[in-house]
Amino acid sequence: MKKKFPLLLVLILGIIGIIPYYLPHSAVQNADNFLRNDFLRIISTFAIVLGLGSLMKVHYDKIRRHRANFQYSYVLIISFAITSIIGLFGGVEGDLFLPTRIGSFQFDLQTLYTNIIVPLGSTMFALLAFFMASASYRAFRARSLESSLLLGAAFIIMIGVLPLGDKISPHLPSFAQWIMDIPNVASKRGISFGIALGAVATSLKIILGIERSWLGGGK
Amino acid sequence: MNISFDFWIWIGAFLSLCIFSFLYKDNPFYKFAEHLFVGVTNGYFLTFTVHRVLVPNLFKPLFEGKLWLIISFVVGALYVARFIPKVSWLVRIPIAITIGYYTGASIPAVIQTDIIRQIQGTILTPQNFQAWHAGTMGVVWSIILFIGVLCTLSYFYFSKEHKGVLGVTSKIGIIFIMIGFGAAFGYTVMARISLLIGRLQFLLGDWLGIIK
Amino acid sequence: MKLLDYLTKLDRRVIYLILAIVVILPLVFPSTQKVRVMTPVQRLFNTVEMIPDEKILIIDFDYDPQTQPELEPMAIALLRHAFKRRIKMAALSLYVQPLGLAKLAMDQVIEEFNSEATTTADSIIYGKDYVFLGWQPPPIIPLLGMGISISDVYKTDYYGYKTDSLPMMKNVKNFNDVGLLISISGASAPLWWITYSQTKYGVAVGAGVTAVSASDFYAYFQTGQFSGLMIGMKGGAEYEELIETELKIQQRRKASEALGSLTAAHITIIIFIIIGNVGYFVRRRK
Repeated sequence: MKKKFPLLLVLILGIIGIIPYYLPHSAVQNADNFLRNDFLRIISTFAIVLGLGSLMKVHYDKIRRHRANFQYSYVLIISFAITSIIGLFGGVEGDLFLPTRIGSFQFDLQTLYTNIIVPLGSTMFALLAFFMASASYRAFRARSLESSLLLGAAFIIMIGVLPLGDKISPHLPSFAQWIMDIPNVASKRGISFGIALGAVATSLKIILGIERSWLGGGK
Repeated sequence: MNISFDFWIWIGAFLSLCIFSFLYKDNPFYKFAEHLFVGVTNGYFLTFTVHRVLVPNLFKPLFEGKLWLIISFVVGALYVARFIPKVSWLVRIPIAITIGYYTGASIPAVIQTDIIRQIQGTILTPQNFQAWHAGTMGVVWSIILFIGVLCTLSYFYFSKEHKGVLGVTSKIGIIFIMIGFGAAFGYTVMARISLLIGRLQFLLGDWLGIIK
Repeated sequence: MKLLDYLTKLDRRVIYLILAIVVILPLVFPSTQKVRVMTPVQRLFNTVEMIPDEKILIIDFDYDPQTQPELEPMAIALLRHAFKRRIKMAALSLYVQPLGLAKLAMDQVIEEFNSEATTTADSIIYGKDYVFLGWQPPPIIPLLGMGISISDVYKTDYYGYKTDSLPMMKNVKNFNDVGLLISISGASAPLWWITYSQTKYGVAVGAGVTAVSASDFYAYFQTGQFSGLMIGMKGGAEYEELIETELKIQQRRKASEALGSLTAAHITIIIFIIIGNVGYFVRRRK
């Protein structure tokens, strides 16, 4: 029961997911639409309980057991609580009963987003520029014909797609475009055939109950 | 120089510098910023989930009499079972429903998009010759593409030793693959630098007012 | 030899510093760069131009703060194009994180247009000229559901208004009323639109993607699954160039401004790679 019932559900829902592609009748399409909008959407949305619950549990345990750097878990939990209170009671647009403005000072959800989430998220990725530069300097070696080809193509793209390439020669941007259009598409397509076939095979294995890792541990 | 006096701009700049401090080494400022990011982002996520998904699609219709939504609510609520050891297996039910529908819906769609359409784009047809807008060269490009795809596929064929014809095709295949990876690397450099530029435009522009 | 030794053993922090300087200098001392528009962007522009009056443009804002600098200029250029041509536009996101950025981009462009408007007819008005549908998870709900009924998927919009009640949506039922959908994404969202929505409902899809994922998307452009393609900061700059030259829109061009820094950084990284290789070969010969 604990495993067979979920496996049966996957099989049934898998078939239900496939059918509407091959039966365009409006009754089938409307039933599919109803299933997605009124059931699947709600059920999937509740996955937030799993995500947030696990996150809070990990950090609560960290604080309780005074694990290394547990102080930062307070930062996470408190910032989560404050944002949630502002969002849930102040509303998405600061339109609910909790005030999100004192005089000209605003602290509504969009303000927190623009001034906390945006700078933090974008700076984290901006760091990658430095790591990439350092890694290129240390690890990128033209040891063989293959790696020399890789380097050559990279240089042509790096120069060719920018206005500098056009200044060097008007043919350079066209050549860079050609690399993207032909050798790049050929290699990516060859690789993606394998990925797509693998994805379809895995999907079939999940529906047929051969692939069961999603069940997790336990009985 | 036209430095900002906006409180929030200063907060944004301070947080950006906290993250940049990681370039020197891991430090408390970075850790603080990292945890703050996760906390605020999840608060944002929760707000939209409640106000824009659960309220209009579950709670409001439920009170308007669409009682079948109770089933969705109960099944969705089974995610909580994950935290109750005795009944934790029940979490498999909502997961099974989601995974089942997703995988089912993906099979015909992936076959059509990633296999059939890609084969159509590779075979030598007059339509594909014109895809390059290169006149007679379109035919040549299409032939090179066709050979490139076949040779790339042959490189990943491991059921036979890469000798003879397969040896030659897989060698050609690796040339295509390496050029493709090189192109991807070139673009990756552009992507990473762009992200840094964006942040510097904020720090030098919005915050310090050095640039417009 | 000593110099070569030094150059091949640079501390990572020196590399970071050099990179920071070469990126900052062109921002402080900008120079104008002529941008050459390539076929994928030109085709996207042409496809937007050809959207019939009775159909709308959907922009899927699927970039988050992590990829904002690359993708936001594309979104802003597209919004300027749509509003200049008075193409009705619906915005949405498949994920929650891009919502705030979508709102920022729309607010900025609407302010640009409305500050120059002299009458109500000239103004861009919410609900009449554009709507912000917001976010409905999981992505498969809008990807498949919008082919049947957009207002069933988005019962309320981003602001909480009933979608049915918005004047623009009275004539927009499903993908049949959509002339083009452009997905601007730092991940795979454009591929999902062609995989699910285009396969089943035939909707035309364009894409604006990060340069990191550029090479994966070209194969779908060649087959015609994407009507057009913008790649990274350069793609944004190309679209900015098009709306300036073709539509005479004179506004700040954030992507084009970045090209000087991008060029300097690319050259620096090429030099780093060459120095690293010279050192490697000299040491190997020894």
